Amino acid sequence: MIPVRMFPLVGKYIVRHRVRTLLTLGGIATAMFLFCAVQAMRSGVAAATQETASETTLVVYRENRFCPFTSELPQDYSRAIAAIPGVKTVAPMRIVVNNCRASLDVVTFRGVEEAALHDADFRLLGGSLADWTRRHDAAIVGERLAERRGLKVGDILSAAGISVSIAGILASDNPQDQNVAYVHLGFIQRAAGNKQGIVTQFNVEVADPSQLDAVASAIDESFASSQAPTWTSSEKAFVARAVTDIVQLVEFAGWLGIGSLVAIFALVANAISLSVQDRAKDHAVMQTLGYPENLIARLVVVESLGVSLLGGLFGVAIAWSISWFGQFTFSVEGLSVIIQADAETIAVGLAICAVIGVGAGLLPALRAARLSTAEAFRAV
Amino acid sequence: MAFIECRQLSRTYKRGDQEITPLDRLDLDVEAGEFLALMGPSGSGKTTLLNLIAGIDRPTSGELLVQGRNIASLSRSALAAWRRDHVGYIFQLYNLVPVLTAYENVELPLLLQALSRKECHRRVSAALNMVGIANRHDHYPRQLSGGQEQRVAIARAIVAEPRIIVADEPTGDLDKSSAHDILALLQRLTHEVSCALIMVTHDPRAAEYATRTLHLEKGRLVEQLEEAAT
Repeated sequence: MIPVRMFPLVGKYIVRHRVRTLLTLGGIATAMFLFCAVQAMRSGVAAATQETASETTLVVYRENRFCPFTSELPQDYSRAIAAIPGVKTVAPMRIVVNNCRASLDVVTFRGVEEAALHDADFRLLGGSLADWTRRHDAAIVGERLAERRGLKVGDILSAAGISVSIAGILASDNPQDQNVAYVHLGFIQRAAGNKQGIVTQFNVEVADPSQLDAVASAIDESFASSQAPTWTSSEKAFVARAVTDIVQLVEFAGWLGIGSLVAIFALVANAISLSVQDRAKDHAVMQTLGYPENLIARLVVVESLGVSLLGGLFGVAIAWSISWFGQFTFSVEGLSVIIQADAETIAVGLAICAVIGVGAGLLPALRAARLSTAEAFRAV
Repeated sequence: MAFIECRQLSRTYKRGDQEITPLDRLDLDVEAGEFLALMGPSGSGKTTLLNLIAGIDRPTSGELLVQGRNIASLSRSALAAWRRDHVGYIFQLYNLVPVLTAYENVELPLLLQALSRKECHRRVSAALNMVGIANRHDHYPRQLSGGQEQRVAIARAIVAEPRIIVADEPTGDLDKSSAHDILALLQRLTHEVSCALIMVTHDPRAAEYATRTLHLEKGRLVEQLEEAAT
């Protein structure tokens, strides 16, 4: 590091080479924004699809069906499922979406029984469950959906030919809750094709996480020979299967993320190299004044670090703002992957910028330090 | 014992296959408080000698003693520290840092010393006052005339209170009137700051301000050459 009294000197070099600094910062910020956007998608996919040892939710779907429009199961399966040992609760669910394809603005209606919402693990930011219970066309909507569509309690939400009244807005850690409108099961069954007694899936809570696979197998065996056989998996595995396309896209985007890091390295290294080249005379003067070579090298590295961190800071700030205000959610088949530049993404982005800043500054710093003062003045 | 003693001082460079010896077994004594002018044709070794005395270049052979200490034997970092504590350098083309104001340029050598902000400010202000440029302290080099830039460069050279000031053609880029002002200032400073001032110049009128003038030719003092001839 450098003595504290030298930091203003580095700051002046950065600030007073305005054009060079702004262009470099612009490039770094753009590349860091791209990196954070890719990271936000990756962490969204991970949050939605990576299973943990504490998983307790199973999704029972119609076998060989991949879309909520085609997965139809008799609602009365719920009694048989509830009777299977290890099952804690069963929530029949009718799902209607306004768009089956991958999209950033999908509205997913989840028709559920009253008990399912009372037992659900979310908190209300506005409105009340009592209002939802009272009104047959009421909906509790996820925070992300509400912000994206500008919805408030009392507003009407219309999508997929269905209109509902907002009775509450929920916040939840579960990505699948953040982009849905919970409505009454009976209401959605009537409103979407008048299919009473038919549901899309069952969400099953298991008492013991270690029993998850055993319970899933028991459910599928129970209906193996029925007219509507089932495919049961953990909720995360179910999402992973549905969003395979998105996962592949995000994996490819990972290369873009790596590319943007290489771009940042090249930008910083180029800017600092040119700066050192331009300032050969200044460095020679500083050596004449008694600045030791290693101090000049450290000043260059700190300048490189400063430029890289500043650009990175702008980049993550832009990424965070856009993802926060845009409330982006990738949805496919009614399942959601939240795209949010979280604290971890920002911390990782800035840490990488710091490492790149130091790394990119090393070579120019060595060049500045190895400068022969007498030669430098002869060259001027 | 003289303040600065050069004993059989030589400097040889390699340029491609060629060996150039701008300084050849030179002997020279400089006393403290002396204003010495070095004259001679281009390539006579004036700037090389100046750079050796300033500690920014090293002799190929010989001894360079300052207050009895052979600075040629110092390590690179020790030599940097020695320059910081003992030398002020004034360049022909001023060599101010363009993105720093006059005040900040003068402050530059003091950043190497653990001084309080107050003390630092006092010394910078005193140096700027001494060279008569205090009213331009917040100007950038591009906003100053050549004479004003050189005054700032002189303030930068004296702010750390060095014992040796070296000046490489300090008036070479200035008009007659500015040159006179700068030389008069340097003359005054040798008395006020009490340091040895060694100035390289091509101009005999500039050399008149010095207390002693020496001539170099082919890397040796003309006086030495004449002695050798007789």
